[in-house]
Amino acid sequence: MAGKIREMIDSIISQRAQNNPMLAGVIKTKLVLKGIDPNKFNRHSDDDPVIIAKLETLLKDIR
Amino acid sequence: MGIRIASSTKGTVEEAVHEIRGQLEGLDATMVAYFASSVHPPGSISMAMEDAFAGATVFGCSTAGEIVSGRMLTGSVVAMAFDKGTIRDVKVEVLQDLEHDSFETFKAFERHFGEKMSRMNPEKYVGIMLIDGLSRKEELLIDRMGDLTNVHFIGGSAGDDLKFAATSVYANGGSYRNAAVLALIEPAVPFACIKTQSFRSLGKTLMVTRANEATREVLEFNGRPAAAAYADALGVPVSEAPKRFMHNPVGLVIDGEPYVRSPQQINGTAMVFYCSVTKGMELTLLESTDIIADTAQALGRARNDLGGLSGLINFNCILRTMELDSRHQCATYGSLFAEVPTIGFSTYGEQFIGHINQTATMLAFR
Repeated sequence: MAGKIREMIDSIISQRAQNNPMLAGVIKTKLVLKGIDPNKFNRHSDDDPVIIAKLETLLKDIR
Repeated sequence: MGIRIASSTKGTVEEAVHEIRGQLEGLDATMVAYFASSVHPPGSISMAMEDAFAGATVFGCSTAGEIVSGRMLTGSVVAMAFDKGTIRDVKVEVLQDLEHDSFETFKAFERHFGEKMSRMNPEKYVGIMLIDGLSRKEELLIDRMGDLTNVHFIGGSAGDDLKFAATSVYANGGSYRNAAVLALIEPAVPFACIKTQSFRSLGKTLMVTRANEATREVLEFNGRPAAAAYADALGVPVSEAPKRFMHNPVGLVIDGEPYVRSPQQINGTAMVFYCSVTKGMELTLLESTDIIADTAQALGRARNDLGGLSGLINFNCILRTMELDSRHQCATYGSLFAEVPTIGFSTYGEQFIGHINQTATMLAFR
């Protein structure tokens, strides 16, 4: 499977930033500092389970 | 009255706090932040400051040097007091176990302010984070807080005048180790967070291919022993590499902005850093530039953006202080803050969005 990481990153940024570009930039920076660079993932990227687990935790916190 | 500052170089806690109290006489303070040299016993300074400002929320930490408007100091206490016109509300919590999830601490903030942390407006609230500078838990805490809220927490890691023996954070009249003081503030005036560092990219990339996050150790860059890869990137033998650490750290460069990771030592063939580096991180080799010019520019931008500065809290990396000292520029650096009520300290790490090194993070008020 591929593309799940990009989908999850987009979901986190959209839910957290609420269309605020400044906040979107901060959230991207937070992800890079965690070792997840949003620019490195697209809809063809492999579904790495370690990264998916990290992103799932972030999504859970938003809920 | 707004924001007022005080400082004392008196040798005892009693004398220093008496002098600070005197300089702040007449201000009905809602919040007092202070930074004290480790020459002052932690328990005594915290209790004395709490007693001196009864009715205010008082917090601080130990330092590796202090900053007050116009001067860089050592062996002193510096304090900043805010009245109700500048700080509408503040809640301080002590996180006494840094392994413990900050979620519960955030619940206390939510009860106080009546809003969920996840929904708080970062333009209405700001946080200050002071943490034991020897805990190595800064990333854990700031990353977790960043997961739970959009409110910025800015701050520094407590110091101990380069003894690296014990650092303390202070709140509610107590002193704490392996702990963090978190202050959630609702300013009554506009505010801004400043992050400034003085480096340019050398255009060379070091990809972390093996790391031990817990020990902040990089084992391999680009599939090679880390120390050798770093030294090669600089064109020097490994034995010469530690001499270049301060001048040539590495950084995560995000949208052109470096988030500095400073090497601490070479351990065998690995490199130990002052903050965490994880496998897969693409680090850029950096070269130091002009701290004075860059800081002046950052202050100028903040002044323009806010329409003036009435107060500034500066968390300035000890490595920057050491570099300024080696260039005999401490007085010039201090003078950058001469016109603005400022306090700050030389830190063992800085926080803003994440945990960073060789940076100054500042909280500015209009």
